[in-house]
Amino acid sequence: MAKAVITVRNISKSFGRIQAVRDLSFSVESGSCFGFLGPNGAGKTTVMKMIYGKCTRDESCGGQMDIFGYDPAKNELAIKYLSGVVQQENNLDDELNVIQNLMIYSRFYNTPVKAAKERIEYLLDFLELSEKADSKIKELSGGMKRRLVIARALLNFPRLLILDEPTTGLDPQVRHLIWEKIRQLQKQETTVLLTTHYMEEAFQLCDRLLIMHKGQKVMEGTPEDLLEENIEKYVLEVLDADPVRQVHQDTPLNRVRVDHTADVTRYYANDMDVLKQLAASFLKAGNYLIRQTNLEDVFLKATGRRLNDNQ
Amino acid sequence: MTTSNPFKYPPLHRRLYGVWYRHMRVYTKNLLSNGFPPFLEPLIFLVGVGLGLGKYISEPMGGVRYIEFLGAGLLVTTAMFTSAFECSFGTYIRLEFEKVYDAMLAAPMTVNNLIVGEMIWAGSKGLFFSLAVLCILSAFRIILLPYGLLAPLVGFLTGVMFAALSLLVTSFVKTINHFNFYFTGFISPIFFFSGVVFPVANLPGFIRPLAEMVPLTHSVRLVRAICTNDYKPILLFDLLYIAVFIMVVGFFAIKRLKKRLVN
Repeated sequence: MAKAVITVRNISKSFGRIQAVRDLSFSVESGSCFGFLGPNGAGKTTVMKMIYGKCTRDESCGGQMDIFGYDPAKNELAIKYLSGVVQQENNLDDELNVIQNLMIYSRFYNTPVKAAKERIEYLLDFLELSEKADSKIKELSGGMKRRLVIARALLNFPRLLILDEPTTGLDPQVRHLIWEKIRQLQKQETTVLLTTHYMEEAFQLCDRLLIMHKGQKVMEGTPEDLLEENIEKYVLEVLDADPVRQVHQDTPLNRVRVDHTADVTRYYANDMDVLKQLAASFLKAGNYLIRQTNLEDVFLKATGRRLNDNQ
Repeated sequence: MTTSNPFKYPPLHRRLYGVWYRHMRVYTKNLLSNGFPPFLEPLIFLVGVGLGLGKYISEPMGGVRYIEFLGAGLLVTTAMFTSAFECSFGTYIRLEFEKVYDAMLAAPMTVNNLIVGEMIWAGSKGLFFSLAVLCILSAFRIILLPYGLLAPLVGFLTGVMFAALSLLVTSFVKTINHFNFYFTGFISPIFFFSGVVFPVANLPGFIRPLAEMVPLTHSVRLVRAICTNDYKPILLFDLLYIAVFIMVVGFFAIKRLKKRLVN
């Protein structure tokens, strides 16, 4: 087992009366990708910010943080120097072109000009932006801006890459390209922290996942374990709710878990045949769908289907 | 792949330089539209006073011709205005609209570094604007060289002073329109009551102490001494005032902005 490079114990954070993070603990192994899932307002971004010192944890709760041997409360600069951060917004300098944006940040890391130029050339190539080197920021598409922000985060050869919703709002091509690059970085022993709303992204990239809800950890584990331990293998989804309700009241459903929402009724079971039988007993073909359960089912089970105040 | 060594994060002066360099690059990106007006402004002033207002003021003011009197004041008012704009509207836009500070703070720098860098940059702009006025005024022999060459340094101090003040104001501002109060209610009156347009000594006795409290009064006294090459002990008090003002107001500006930048 690889060494833990991030260890967080019992941290909390409140903004006035709102408690954004409650008693959270987790640890991240070197070179792994650790993902945070959770509805908007669950506290994912706050956790990220606490790691690189943009947010301070509540002192009264006595929590501990160890990020590559440093505590953000004491060694903010050391942590910032070894990490690259991709924030939710594309906060680029619109006045400057692509290369100039990166040159400015090289100065922040005190990289000698020649080394900075080489690094920038490499990163533009790595993120397939070389043709746009002299373009203005306004001329870039959303996907290009995002890739540029990622390039900026990689300028200083970070050991820790913090990605806060890196692919939100991007088309599938760009998203897959970014996934590919993140995997390549992982092979080079970069530890990655990721927040996302895309379950497929979490499944594809993360070695370990932590599902948060209302500032608390609800589940943690490898994507496979989360699936296996928390949800049945298959689900039968029925759109037309009314007749189903009648049926399932007088059918023996001891091997099936039923989840009923306004429009959809879902029947979960580990045995697909049970669901097939069930469907055949009262449904017309085409009116239902039997599929494998996925991370989204786990997520919704863990965090509920209803919107909360922060969403 | 080489990885970063966390012990090697840049030393303080390099971090401050980084902030300064960022602002300098953004400013010089539009060199013509940003660099030309500082030279144009004193020219307009010369035409206005030389051809118009000057004719009505035949008496010498503060021992010099009126155009020299007003010209010397312009060396620091220009620094005040540029710095006040930079650290109010400029800072607010970087803070709230462009979110540039959020990105910068993910790089190895603290909020203190960021704000102090901001103040040094505003001082540098003050220096440059002062220098531009000096160029024009000395070209027309209104200010004599080499005495006047020290004036941009007062421009720098004035810039830093108004940067600290404007940053403190910015820390209170909830919408960008609030700056209208600051400029109409504070910066504009300063222009009239700090000895730029007429000597403070001519004000009624009860207003004079107020004029002494206004930061620009001290810059004006320093710059006049430089232009006339006439140094008096009171200038030490002016320097002390400026130093204390920068430290005290700057301290509170940093303290308050920190709350906005680090939650």
